[in-house]
Amino acid sequence: MALCRNVGFWRTCSVLLPRRPLLFSSAVRTQSSVSGDLVPRTSLSRPPWPEQTALVSEEEERSRHAAVVSTVNQKINQRQYGRLFAVVHFASRQWKVTDEDLILIENHIDAECGERIRMEKVLLVGAEDFTLIGRPLLGKELVRVEATVIEKTESWPKVHMRFWRRHRFERKKIIIQPQTVLRINSIELAPRLT
Amino acid sequence: MVFLTLSYWIRNRGPDRYWKVQEVLKHARHFRGRKNRCYSLAVRAVRRAFVYATKGRKLKKRNMRTLWITRIAAASREHSMKYPALIHNLTKTSVQLNRRVISELAITEPRSFLSLAKLAQARQQEGFRAALGDGKEPAGVFSRVVLLQ
Repeated sequence: MALCRNVGFWRTCSVLLPRRPLLFSSAVRTQSSVSGDLVPRTSLSRPPWPEQTALVSEEEERSRHAAVVSTVNQKINQRQYGRLFAVVHFASRQWKVTDEDLILIENHIDAECGERIRMEKVLLVGAEDFTLIGRPLLGKELVRVEATVIEKTESWPKVHMRFWRRHRFERKKIIIQPQTVLRINSIELAPRLT
Repeated sequence: MVFLTLSYWIRNRGPDRYWKVQEVLKHARHFRGRKNRCYSLAVRAVRRAFVYATKGRKLKKRNMRTLWITRIAAASREHSMKYPALIHNLTKTSVQLNRRVISELAITEPRSFLSLAKLAQARQQEGFRAALGDGKEPAGVFSRVVLLQ
């Protein structure tokens, strides 16, 4: 609301000032000495926000969007992309993942060793020429990320120690966390995009 | 004649002092000076090392986050955008990538980062246009702006 009013202020300024010379008709000269800016350039002569670039019309925008979508669709249909990478949300973390990647996850997963897993929460998929950004997730019919559970181990024993000097306070705890190693087998794109 | 009381005077202090001492010294072997050999110095050094490791694990998370933010800010400035503008506009377009992944994209996938920056820029311009409006007052309001138009 305040911005609407301020826009009105900048517009009234620009409309008012050129009108002023008409009141003093006797002082009007045939040749104006000030050419160019009607308003002297000060810190308050222009609004502090940058000037707006020209708006693209809606049809132009729609045609550009359709062109982009058709090129990307063509590339996906003809499988002209090379190696794909994906950003996957898994185990409360986001991983940037490609084929043949190894991932170490610091918790226990219910799948057994050797089982194939499909990761469903894909946030972004990219190839060399195009990127598909999900808002926030990409559809399950669009991307398929498959992984295999390779190893289920425990971490090395980490020492959690607290010590408060001169207060005879010392606590030592050894933390061993379960770990899982996943190998990303493949990332596949489905040839369908709207 | 057998002297029996002599054997009662010998105390057995415990069979495994050596292994208890080694348990502490093994964590001190890479230290400098006598702390890596002498038990009483090593105990104190090992305790400090464990406490620093515990505190460091918490600090590491904070430091990594500031590092990611610095990297994203630098990369977005290459594309004439500032870090707060980039992040705010990405969240407004409901793109939920975290800072670690965005910084990795900025390093290894520059084209994808450019596409994210362009998306944020477009959303920023849309926001400016929505805020500035037409320059006309709302319907039903009469003021000098309406008078002058």
